[in-house]
Amino acid sequence: MKRSFTMFIILIVFLLFTAGCWNRRELNELAVTLAIGLDKTSDDQYLLTAQVVNPGEVAGDRGAGSSPVIIYSAKGKTVSEAIRKITDESPRRIYPSHLRVLVIGESLAKEGIGKPLDLFSREWDMRSDFYIVVAKGMDAKNILKVPTALEKIPANKLFNTLSLSSKVWSGTSAITLDELITDMVSEGKQPVLTGIQADIKGDEETSLSKQNVERIDMPARLSYNGLAVFDKDKLVGWLNEKQSQTYTVVTSKEKSTVVDVSCPKGGKFVYQVMSSNTEMKGKIKNGKPEIDLNVHVEGNISEVECPIDLTKTESIDQLEEIYEKTSKKVFKKAIKQVQEEYKTDIFGFGEAIHRADPQAWKKLKKDWAKHFENVPVNIRVQGEIRSIGTIDNPFQEKLK
Amino acid sequence: MSFLKKRRKNSVKRPLFEQDDQNMETNKELLKTSLQENIQHVKQLLGNSSDIVIREIQIGKKQLVKVCIFYTDGLVDTNSIQNFIMESIMLDIHTGQEQILSSQQNILQQLKDCILAVGDIRDVTEFSSLLTSLLSGDVILLVDGHAQGFTIGMRGGKDRGVMEATTETIIRGPKEGFTEKLRTNTALIRRKIKTPQLWLESKKIGKLTITDVGIMYINGIVNDKVVEEVHRRLDRIDIDGILESGYIEELIQDETYSPFPTIYYSERPDVVAAELLEGKVAILVDGTPIVLVVPGLFVSFIQSSEDYYQRTFFSSLNRMLRFFCILIALLGPSVYIALTTFHQEMLPTPLLIGLAAQREGVPFPAFIEALLMEIGFEILREAGLRMPRAIGPAMSIVGTLVIGTAAVDAGIVSAAMVIVVAITAVASFVLPSYAISQSFRMLRFPFMALAASFGLFGILVGFIALVLHMCSLRSFEVPYMSPFAPFIREDIKDTVIRVPIWRMFSRPRIISQKNNKRVQSSAPKPPRNNM
Repeated sequence: MKRSFTMFIILIVFLLFTAGCWNRRELNELAVTLAIGLDKTSDDQYLLTAQVVNPGEVAGDRGAGSSPVIIYSAKGKTVSEAIRKITDESPRRIYPSHLRVLVIGESLAKEGIGKPLDLFSREWDMRSDFYIVVAKGMDAKNILKVPTALEKIPANKLFNTLSLSSKVWSGTSAITLDELITDMVSEGKQPVLTGIQADIKGDEETSLSKQNVERIDMPARLSYNGLAVFDKDKLVGWLNEKQSQTYTVVTSKEKSTVVDVSCPKGGKFVYQVMSSNTEMKGKIKNGKPEIDLNVHVEGNISEVECPIDLTKTESIDQLEEIYEKTSKKVFKKAIKQVQEEYKTDIFGFGEAIHRADPQAWKKLKKDWAKHFENVPVNIRVQGEIRSIGTIDNPFQEKLK
Repeated sequence: MSFLKKRRKNSVKRPLFEQDDQNMETNKELLKTSLQENIQHVKQLLGNSSDIVIREIQIGKKQLVKVCIFYTDGLVDTNSIQNFIMESIMLDIHTGQEQILSSQQNILQQLKDCILAVGDIRDVTEFSSLLTSLLSGDVILLVDGHAQGFTIGMRGGKDRGVMEATTETIIRGPKEGFTEKLRTNTALIRRKIKTPQLWLESKKIGKLTITDVGIMYINGIVNDKVVEEVHRRLDRIDIDGILESGYIEELIQDETYSPFPTIYYSERPDVVAAELLEGKVAILVDGTPIVLVVPGLFVSFIQSSEDYYQRTFFSSLNRMLRFFCILIALLGPSVYIALTTFHQEMLPTPLLIGLAAQREGVPFPAFIEALLMEIGFEILREAGLRMPRAIGPAMSIVGTLVIGTAAVDAGIVSAAMVIVVAITAVASFVLPSYAISQSFRMLRFPFMALAASFGLFGILVGFIALVLHMCSLRSFEVPYMSPFAPFIREDIKDTVIRVPIWRMFSRPRIISQKNNKRVQSSAPKPPRNNM
């Protein structure tokens, strides 16, 4: 008994040493990759660009003055090949678990992103909570080259900017890999992705170097701009700002934004959306699909630039009514434009029809793209004003 | 392996002290009538040891009787010998009544009855008991012509006196600690528990040291089977010497090859008294301030006497804090190793980058790094205990440099590792019992190895094995992990939390079922103020 126990202990000890620490990776053997850019080269290969953190520069006070991130890129016929090939250049293994942003070059997006994305959803080292954006009118590599201030790591800047602007302005949409794939494979809904642009003024030599962040008015900037409309996995066009905001409202993704509305007697007031919820219902009327949108918005008045007596409840009701009318018009117009211009169902009307009448959907789904173009959309907006801020009547009136 | 077996067979049971056993035999012989012979014999048996004082006197008025007093210098109270023995038999006799010491026959009886003004007098007829008493600090009085003598209890000599307990310090509560003297220690407990049911049994253990061992328990509360078992285990001990209660602990504990102590010990009388009230048995050993308590359960090591003196909220929070600290002390470095070498995806990104930045230029893998720091800390701890007091300040300066900024600045370890090792070290000392904190400190090394080889998976497997082992332990037939396993709902009241004293209705179920009621409902009921 005692001997077998001793043998057992000895075996365990051997096991510890012979296991060879399988899969062990020290922190300083990893190239922590926070952003990856994917492009298509002219010879039909993938160009993968990894933005790798230089930890010593980012944290601690031991920085030697070099750049906080480094980019490594490699070409390959497949994405996996490109990732492996990066080790030709990089001293450490690409570690993508902490990936924040995947940037896709516009040319690749036009060809289709389905194939290269397989690796990102299959690889167990990847989490699916990173944002995917499209480089508007340029290669992804150019986006990852731009140094940023405030957030030392450009990938973090991209991530934080997108999550903030999608929450506060709602002209963008923070879309993660799993959401993208769900939309891509859905028959009744098409994906969108936010576009990113690098605005580089002047000489690249200085603006893409550390000098960029030393200037108050940085010559090279990164900013999000509009939503890219996809048909399945291929980019077909770009939404403007109003259309983008309409998209977030219709898909209930809007968290908060501000809308300017004209007052009854001229001038403007600004309605600040605090919460917004859209009920989308599909129905079949006379064999034709139809969509009802019930937009329920709650918010505050954040700015008043017109003479109005806000102490009266009637004027509040009036403002609500005007807001409802205006935004209904805006939504209607934007939806119409999407239906006519892009002919892809980014709003998920198909899914609504599917939910409402599965039998009818079976017939419709084959050429839904055609039906979508002509689906009538009935919009009802219900806007409520909760508060008018810390003052009641605008003081401009007294200036006269 | 086979040659080991042979050797083991050869060395089977050869008594260690054969000669000694023979000595003991000869000592069984009876005292002689001739005083000179007796003196000679004692001298011979003790090898003329110079600390044995042998004083021959002649007493009596008409007939002079030869009397001899033996004592061991240093073990007796010399003043009392002067005042109560010497003075009585040499001076007081002459002032006393005529008939005293008139006849030889009942001289012993007369000495006992009328002359010696001492409480503890016992007859002695054998050399063996004579020597034992002599060397325990009694005074021996032999009279010429009688094959009989007295042992007179005159134990004294220098001892440390009751001082503040140094190993278990508290803020509120009695400060006194046990001393090296068995008698003082039993008195300290008696002073706390005055019931006649507090019983003390004595034993002498150790063939050469002949150490006094006391077994103390409250009759009627204690589980008699445990007392019997204690007796059985103590009687089985066959050893030359007991120098500290640690000897007894190792000789009677249930499991030697376990990292966990299955016998509780304390230096504080209030702690031991509390354990006795729960129905446990205390084993006091002469010559050490450490008193053993059996059965020793895991929860005992987490409880501090101050928990019961403080307000219940703080005590409960402290208990939880201690359990949390066990986890830190046990798993701190191993979880750090696992996270940084296997599960980097579990860390928040900024933390990962921060840790990676610190590891830039560190030459060793995280496991080696942690091992270096942990061993460094253990060296400092051990050195701090062993070194002469005077070197202390110098040592602490060097220590903070070694495990601290210097190591980080030199790029040998990362700053985060220093934090982890430091917090682990401090957490292990939160536990009120040094014995259990040792266990957890030792166990964190295998856990680090598991973490370095298998990551969190290894830690999990190791932890399961540890819990299984702890649940399999028993102390004097009581499950070590009770009241968690087996789960006893009532007794949770004094484990992770400490309920108000007036809610502790019963004693721990598992230790003794007898006389279980502890408090009648005596919740404080302040009068309603109707004014």
